[in-house]
Amino acid sequence: MQSNLKLKGLLVITLLPALLLYSFFVIIPIFWSSYYGFFEWSGLGDATYIGLQNYIDVMQSPVFWRSLKNNLIIVAASVFGQVPIALALALMLRKSNWFQIFVRSAVFLPMVISTVVVGLIWGYIYDPEIGVINTVLRAVGLESWTKAWLADPSVNMYAVAVPIIWNYIGPYLIIFIAAIQNIPSEMEEAAMIDGASGWKKLIYIILPNMWTTIKVAVVLCISGSLKAFDQVFVMTGGGPAESTEILATYMYNNTFLVYRYGYGSAVSTMIILLSLILIGISQVLMKRKNEGMTIR
Amino acid sequence: MKFHLFKGIRILFLAVFSLMMIYPLYWLITSAFKTNKEFFARPHSFPTNFSFENFTRAWEVADLGTAMMNSTIVTITATALTVFLGALTAYVLSRFTFKLKAFLMVFFLLGMLIPIHSTLVPLFTMMDQIGLLDTYWALILPYTAFELPIAIFLTVAYMSSIPKELEEAAVIDGNGYWGVFFRIMLPLSVPALSTVAILSFLRYWNEFVFALVFINDSTLKTLPLSLSIFSDGFSTDYALTMAAMTIAVIPTIVMYLIFQEQIMKGMVAGSVKG
Repeated sequence: MQSNLKLKGLLVITLLPALLLYSFFVIIPIFWSSYYGFFEWSGLGDATYIGLQNYIDVMQSPVFWRSLKNNLIIVAASVFGQVPIALALALMLRKSNWFQIFVRSAVFLPMVISTVVVGLIWGYIYDPEIGVINTVLRAVGLESWTKAWLADPSVNMYAVAVPIIWNYIGPYLIIFIAAIQNIPSEMEEAAMIDGASGWKKLIYIILPNMWTTIKVAVVLCISGSLKAFDQVFVMTGGGPAESTEILATYMYNNTFLVYRYGYGSAVSTMIILLSLILIGISQVLMKRKNEGMTIR
Repeated sequence: MKFHLFKGIRILFLAVFSLMMIYPLYWLITSAFKTNKEFFARPHSFPTNFSFENFTRAWEVADLGTAMMNSTIVTITATALTVFLGALTAYVLSRFTFKLKAFLMVFFLLGMLIPIHSTLVPLFTMMDQIGLLDTYWALILPYTAFELPIAIFLTVAYMSSIPKELEEAAVIDGNGYWGVFFRIMLPLSVPALSTVAILSFLRYWNEFVFALVFINDSTLKTLPLSLSIFSDGFSTDYALTMAAMTIAVIPTIVMYLIFQEQIMKGMVAGSVKG
């Protein structure tokens, strides 16, 4: 009895600090956010209760829908950029000689770079005058292809997506390499004996064995790309004329630039709902095979 | 013959691809050593002579010393707090059975699903009300809170693999729960905790959006925040901005070169669990 009481005391004392900190800064804000969404508030003075008006305004705002579309462009660019590139690289990087280790390190390197630096340096890369893209185009005689990549609304959303792809290929590469190494070598040997080599081995042995991992990667990619903010904010801030606005920059600009706290909170709530819906959908899709991830 | 050609193409492709991956950083660092005159004349050539003038100028003009100091204080405090709280929570969650345990695990997992920027508005107003804005704590506390789920999961996984007998032996030697924690679990979990520390360090050192919203006082600005403001003001002084950015990325690149395997595995494990 004595020790039982002592144990309970220990549990409370040890768990409380982390639990309080985590609840206060991570969980409670979500509920506050949806609550603030019911108010008209400039951040100073009193807030006025306006019911669902903010949420209705959000749904009726063309900029919100454009931000959502742009966000989905980033999601699609990540899924169809990061996953296939990482998969192709992983298939070529199955040995551990110095060259392959170097390639792996180079691909992972952007993961440790500050996202602000990523945004700034890619802003320079896209610069019409000094940027490497236009410089190369001019050097090979494609002068007519040169553009103000981040200003031209017909291309700037795709231009913005490229640094995000570049930034996060690394983890998928590592996941895929681990998955390939986990394929039992007997299976490959058996396939070799059966005369399967090269492409056949890839299609009949390697890819089917990696299917679960690929699905996990796609889910990670979707939830990861919904978190993108820094690079876009630094490169364009959502502009020019809201052409590269994504949900997060839209929320930020409404809240902290024009001080519509209630409206910004309503957008925040929409971001959370969207994330939960996408994660929910991917969980259902994943349900059939939950095992298969053996990465530690 | 065909086989060799195939291999050659593959190696060439990998080499070109990795150079493309590195190019932005290579350009950043080499440009930092150029004068603006040289930069505008030949923006993509290798510097003809290495001048450190941009670095000293950036250090003074952008007040990078202060930013570096702020980043160091925030990063180290938050990392220490994350490692300690993560270890303590993981110890309880991995070694004891109690009613709410399963619920707590799921509760902490939830945090990994939440997009950080969706908490900006409420956190800003909440911290405004309790007077935390424009203090180091405005960064240290939320950083720690958001990193706790990953810290806990990496450490729980590791601690669960430590044999029960070691704990029992320590109890026979007269150790209480705290004795077991400090003398057995903490020292044995160093591999997992060092991964947590490295990941936290990188995350906090590079973090931007919380600093952007919660810090207004220029004497408290962290490196990423200073860089973004500085680059707005000096947008045509490329060499200077590149030098400032180089100063900011060097600590993370050094960490990457030393702890590469740990960083790769830790980041992958952290994202997969999410």
